[in-house]
Amino acid sequence: MTESIPLTWEEVARVYGRKIYNFAYRLTGNQADASDLVQEVLLRVKKGLASYQPGSFEGWLWRITRNAFLDEVRRKNRRPTSPLPEEIDRWDAATSPAADVEYERVTLGEDIQKALLELPLEFREAVVLCDVMGLSYEQIATAIAAPVGTVRSRIHRGRKLLRELLT
Amino acid sequence: MSHPSMLISAYLDGELSRDEVGRLLDHLAGCGRCAAELEATQHVRTAVRSLPMMELPGGIVSEADPVVVPLRRNRGFLVGAAAATAAVVIAVAAFLTPAPTPVTVSDLNSRFGARVSLDPAFGPAKVVVPEIVEVGG
Repeated sequence: MTESIPLTWEEVARVYGRKIYNFAYRLTGNQADASDLVQEVLLRVKKGLASYQPGSFEGWLWRITRNAFLDEVRRKNRRPTSPLPEEIDRWDAATSPAADVEYERVTLGEDIQKALLELPLEFREAVVLCDVMGLSYEQIATAIAAPVGTVRSRIHRGRKLLRELLT
Repeated sequence: MSHPSMLISAYLDGELSRDEVGRLLDHLAGCGRCAAELEATQHVRTAVRSLPMMELPGGIVSEADPVVVPLRRNRGFLVGAAAATAAVVIAVAAFLTPAPTPVTVSDLNSRFGARVSLDPAFGPAKVVVPEIVEVGG
């Protein structure tokens, strides 16, 4: 299937920047690393656009993103790191009933994010690509360079682990 | 009894073939364990999908390529600089070129008239014989 592709790097940044950031945030769990990852991805996109072969543009884009993420993980594993600051805003639960509801929502979001970060990388990326980015199994297969059957298995096993982590 | 639990997520995502859907539904009708797993998987799937889409923090895109973005903005400046450079070169060349000396019609005739008259393409040379006037006698 051929998709229309953005013609310029600026258009990729404008159209996909927010999606790349959300993918990056759910993979890394913090704003600073996610921002760095977006910049790295956009630079790789800029370099790679000239040689891009028409096909699944999003599959290509998410493959670049996950590869940049994996490279960063490998780089960090080679050197000691300091603990990352907690960047999710805290809510004062006692202010109002509406704040209570919002607090529950934010807390649930934090719990899910923490559980996502505890998943093995191959399960985390499959679940995020499916449930956060909304990709089809075929697009995910392109992004992670694996057969659709592997995608199916990783998503299910990832959700099963999440379920155990959240209970 | 074999439990096709690996089909459950794909079923929720609409990624099963028709045959697989039929097989799973047949199984679910008689298996409480897989029915419970379907429900639990649906909950976690919904929870992850309810995570909010966050805004892109400001400045990320321009910082991603500090060279290219300003370059695009300054493209007009580069064109202007090129035009100014060309203007300076022309002015200097004009200054260094010697001023032309005045030319009269008789100069042109003497230089080019003869050449034209000798050029066979313009027909036989026109020879003007001055009238001889005897002076005295």
